[in-house]
Amino acid sequence: MSFREKRAWVTLITLIFVLTLFWLHIPPTRMLAPPPDVWVLHVLMLMIATFVAIQIIVGIVMRIRSPLDARTPKDERERLIELKSRAIAWYVFVILSLGGIFVTLHAGANEVGLGFVVLFSFVVAEIANYAMRIYYYRRGF
Amino acid sequence: MGKTRIANCIRRLRFEHNEMTQQDLAERVNVTRQTINAIELGKYSPSLEVAFKVSRVFGKPLEAVFSWPEPGEEGEDEERSC
Repeated sequence: MSFREKRAWVTLITLIFVLTLFWLHIPPTRMLAPPPDVWVLHVLMLMIATFVAIQIIVGIVMRIRSPLDARTPKDERERLIELKSRAIAWYVFVILSLGGIFVTLHAGANEVGLGFVVLFSFVVAEIANYAMRIYYYRRGF
Repeated sequence: MGKTRIANCIRRLRFEHNEMTQQDLAERVNVTRQTINAIELGKYSPSLEVAFKVSRVFGKPLEAVFSWPEPGEEGEDEERSC
């Protein structure tokens, strides 16, 4: 497994872990019209900080264990995998965010709820991005 | 999805050239070892530049290393043209 494929796995698992933790604290139904409590933002900031911290720590550990692989620049196949995955993630983001805004507006969401919908769409799009990278690394195209 | 129609003889040519490893070939062609492995397994079609570089490493013309089987001639083996 290449260094970048390992990083893709780490990022994918971290995103799913953090998103699951967030949902455990703030259920999706409550996100549509969340109360204007500061603790909601605190949970959000904590989840973002958790994600960044895991990425930094694991990234450092992986670079220490495989310094040569980490320094090797991306070759054409890795650049192509990244481009194709981002293209798919873009479509996921557009569909989820626009569809989610449409649905949540009709469900009576307030502006904070709409913000959560867009944020959720972004996170799911990133999950799709890294999932597709792993798929292309494993199965080819 | 996952298998390209372009066949190649890279694995055989590597062994014929002093049992060259995938890593050796990757360094000479300036790609990663995983990319060489993906090319050999038919999971990735290299660019023309990489294909020419690989051919030059083995001292063979491009058509001796890579081939595109006619429809109906494709088999299940990795090295269909060798």
